[in-house]
Amino acid sequence: MKIPYRVFPDQYGSFVYSVRLRVNVALPNPGSPRTRQFEAIIDSGASRCVFHSNIGRFLGLDIESGEKEITQGIGGLADTYLHDISLYIPGGPVTIKAAFKEDLPIAALLGMNGFFEHFVITFDQQALTCELDRVFQA
Amino acid sequence: MSPENKIRLDLLRSAPLNKWIALSEDESTIVAVGETFGEVSELIDRAGITDPVILKTPQAWVPISV
Repeated sequence: MKIPYRVFPDQYGSFVYSVRLRVNVALPNPGSPRTRQFEAIIDSGASRCVFHSNIGRFLGLDIESGEKEITQGIGGLADTYLHDISLYIPGGPVTIKAAFKEDLPIAALLGMNGFFEHFVITFDQQALTCELDRVFQA
Repeated sequence: MSPENKIRLDLLRSAPLNKWIALSEDESTIVAVGETFGEVSELIDRAGITDPVILKTPQAWVPISV
């Protein structure tokens, strides 16, 4: 599938492009209800998928009870907490170990582990589209 | 810029900062605003809105580096 780049305002009255995908998440137990869909940034710089803690609490997770993982971002070190969740992506859901972070400025990041590993991803800056081809491993 | 992105840009510029918001499926209207993901989800459910998309707006529209 091809998804168009999305625009966001910048502080200069202009705009920036970002590649965002609409996803849902759920607890990994069979039959668990999914969240409403939300926008997540496709981010090759993220080692794993990171979600705002708010989304985890909505699922019923006790965020701080998860395994603590310290991450190194551009802004320095930060605490995240790991939980297994189902991530609904094109081609079908996957169960991933996701990080939850309290003060994320956005809803979620889709990173290398848990997202990129399931696709061949082509960013086309000229066409302003991102193509996702799902890879199903035997 | 595509017409859809122009509408989206104007909409986001008008959106409250540091909130959870829901856009209509075609991203032409803000259909809910809340303090939490759960609050926005509940507002959407109560209003019976189909296929909205939820976003978190930042404290300011500055470049993101997490």
